[in-house]
Amino acid sequence: MKIKRLLIANRGEIAVRIISTAREMKIETVVVRNANEPDAMYVSLADIVFDNTEDPEEIPVFLNIGRLIEIAIETKCDAVHPGYGFLAENAYFAQKCIENKIIFIGPSPDAIYKMGNKTIARELAMKQGIPMATGSRGNIGNEEEAAAAAELIGYPVIIKAASGGGGRGMRIVRKPEELEKMFLIASKEAEKAFNDPSVFIEKYIENPKHIEFQILGDTKGNIVHLGERECSIQRKHQKLLEEAPSSALDDDLRELMGSMAVRMARAVGYYSAGTVEFLLDSDRNFYFMEMNTRIQVEHPVTEMITGIDLIEQQIRVASGEALAFRQKDVRIKGWSIECRINAEDVQAGFAPDPGKIEKLVLPSDPYVRTDTGVRAGSAIVSSYDSMIAKLIITGTDRKDAIRKCKLALDKVWIKGVKTTLPFFRMLVRNPVFIDGTFTTAFIEKQLDKYYLNSEYEEMLAAWLATRLFVDENLRRDSISIDYENGKEMSPWLLNKRINQF
Amino acid sequence: MNDEKPEIKKLYALSSENRRFTFSLPLKNTIRIGKRSYSVTLKSDEKFGTYILLKNRKYPVEVVRSRQNRYEILFNDISYTFTIETPFSLKRLKVLRSYSGKAESEVIKAPMPGKIIDVLVREGAAVLRGEPLLILEAMKMQNEIQSPVNGHITRVMAKSGTNVMKDDVLIEIKVE
Repeated sequence: MKIKRLLIANRGEIAVRIISTAREMKIETVVVRNANEPDAMYVSLADIVFDNTEDPEEIPVFLNIGRLIEIAIETKCDAVHPGYGFLAENAYFAQKCIENKIIFIGPSPDAIYKMGNKTIARELAMKQGIPMATGSRGNIGNEEEAAAAAELIGYPVIIKAASGGGGRGMRIVRKPEELEKMFLIASKEAEKAFNDPSVFIEKYIENPKHIEFQILGDTKGNIVHLGERECSIQRKHQKLLEEAPSSALDDDLRELMGSMAVRMARAVGYYSAGTVEFLLDSDRNFYFMEMNTRIQVEHPVTEMITGIDLIEQQIRVASGEALAFRQKDVRIKGWSIECRINAEDVQAGFAPDPGKIEKLVLPSDPYVRTDTGVRAGSAIVSSYDSMIAKLIITGTDRKDAIRKCKLALDKVWIKGVKTTLPFFRMLVRNPVFIDGTFTTAFIEKQLDKYYLNSEYEEMLAAWLATRLFVDENLRRDSISIDYENGKEMSPWLLNKRINQF
Repeated sequence: MNDEKPEIKKLYALSSENRRFTFSLPLKNTIRIGKRSYSVTLKSDEKFGTYILLKNRKYPVEVVRSRQNRYEILFNDISYTFTIETPFSLKRLKVLRSYSGKAESEVIKAPMPGKIIDVLVREGAAVLRGEPLLILEAMKMQNEIQSPVNGHITRVMAKSGTNVMKDDVLIEIKVE
C-alpha cells in the first residue's frame, strides 16, 4: 500500500531528516508541536502541524502511545515513523499502530520484543551459532546464583539489565567480593529504569571495539547488510563519533560478521532497518551484543558510503515493496565520519549545556553533510537530548576523511552554548585516533585532556581579558586603576563596547 | 606617602592554572606569536556575533562573566578565567598566597540544571578527591559529581529527588 501521509512521532534532527526524504517521495508529513519547544525547526518544515501545546502532557507526547494514535487518526495518517529514542523500540506501540490500521515504519512487534529482551536475544543468538561472550543461562534470580554464574564464567564479568540498552543498568565486576553489592545495585537500577529488575551476567570483554552492522530487510524475506560502522569513540556508553567502514575489518572479517548479522536478523523474520552490534577484541574475535530495531543516530555514515537512503528504504519496505537490490549489489565507496556536535561542556566532563543558540553557521562544502534540527535562535532545552547537529564528512579514504573533518570542524560556528567542537578538534589530531587502533576505553583511559587549546589561543583570550580591563578601568588621561568601579558585566555589554572601538 | 598613584607600565593576565601573560601599556592591538607580531581585531556582526580576527581567521569570543578584575572568557568554544593584575597587585597576591593555604572551603555547585537522583555523602564524612558526591540527572544523562579535593563535608544542601538550577550550591567541603 502506498503511504500518502506520515505522522512523525519524534522531534529534532531526525524529524527534519524524515521530512526531507518523505518530501522527495511525495509523502505528506505530520508533526506534533509541543509546549517544550513550540518554535522548533521541524515544526516549520512539515506539511501539517498538529498543535499539542495545550495538552497538559502528564507524560511527554512522544512517549504517549494513546495520544499519538489519536493524533494519527485525527490527522488521517496512514503510517507512523517513530525515529529513534522515545517509542522507536516499543513493541506495544508498534502493535497498537497495526491494530488501528496504521502502518508502523519499522520491524514487526514480535521482532522488537524479542530483540528488546536481552535474555531472549541471547538465546536466539546461541541457537543460531552466533559468537557471544560466555554468559549466564537466562536471568539471575539472587546473589547466590550471581556468584555461582560469575565463578563459572570467570572474572571480570558484566551485569546487564535484561530489558536494558544504551549502557544503562550495567555494572562491571572485577572481584568476587564486589559481586553481591553490584548485583543488587544493577537489579535496583534496572527496575527503576526499565520496570524490570531481571539481570544476567556475561564475561566482560576488556577494551573492545564497538562494531555494528546495518541491516535492511523486506517483508518478502530478503535481508542484506550494508557494511559496518565503527562506534568505539564513546563516553559512558554515549557515542560521540562514528565512522564507516572500520579500519579494524578486512573483507573476510566483514563478510563473516555481516553474514552473522544477517543470520541474527533472519532468526526473528526481520524487516525494515536495524543494527546488529558486536564487540571486537584485539585478537579479532567478535561477540554479539544486541540488535537495535530502529534507525540509528549514526545511520548517515552508512548512507554516504553505500548511496542508499535508509529512511526511503524503511518507507518502501513498510509499503510492502521488495528490496530492489541484493547483497552482491551493495558497494562500499569512500569513508565517512560523523561528529555529534552536542550542547555539552567538555571542560566540565561533557555536562549538558542547554541554552539558546545565538549564532549558528554550518559548513556548506560538498564533502560535508549536516543533519540538524536547530537554527540560530533555537533553544536546546533540558527536556530533550543535547544534539545540535551531526557533521557527516565523507572522503575517498580514512586519511582524506580525517583531513576534511579537520577543515569542516573549523567552519562550524556556534554561539550561545558550549559544544563538543573542542573535543573533536583535539580528536582528529590524536595519533591513536589517526592510526585507528582506539577501543571503547579510549576516551576514559587514554586521553588526559578532552579538548584542544593551543598556547596562542589562550594568549588571545588573555589579551581580550586585558583589553576589557583596560577599557573599563583605565581612564583616558590618568593611568590609574579604579578597582571599586569593577562591576558585573553582561555579555551583551561587550557588543556595545566593541562598537566604540 | 605620595598621593599620586604611580604609573602602571604592565598588566598581567593570570590564568586559573597560574599561567601568566604579560602585556605592556598602553595596550596594543597586536599579539606576538613566536618572533612575529600580528594584529588582533575585535569585531561583531549580525551573522557571527562577537569575534576576534587574527591572520584572516575568525575566532568566536564571549565574555561569560566579569567581576572586578576577574574575567571569564569563552574563546573558540573553550572557557578561560583570568584575573588581571598590576605589578603591585601581583606582588600583594604573592605575599597573600604565602600566608594562606589552609582552611579553605570548596563549594560544589550544580554544573547544569537537572534533578538530584542520589546524594552519596553525609555531613561530616571524609571524602577523597575523585570520590562521587552525588548523581545529577540532566538531559537523559546521569552525571556523577565528584569531589575535586580531599576534605570533610561541612554542609549538604542537595536533596535527593529535587530539581536544581545551574550554579545552585549543592555541597560544601572543608579542604584538608
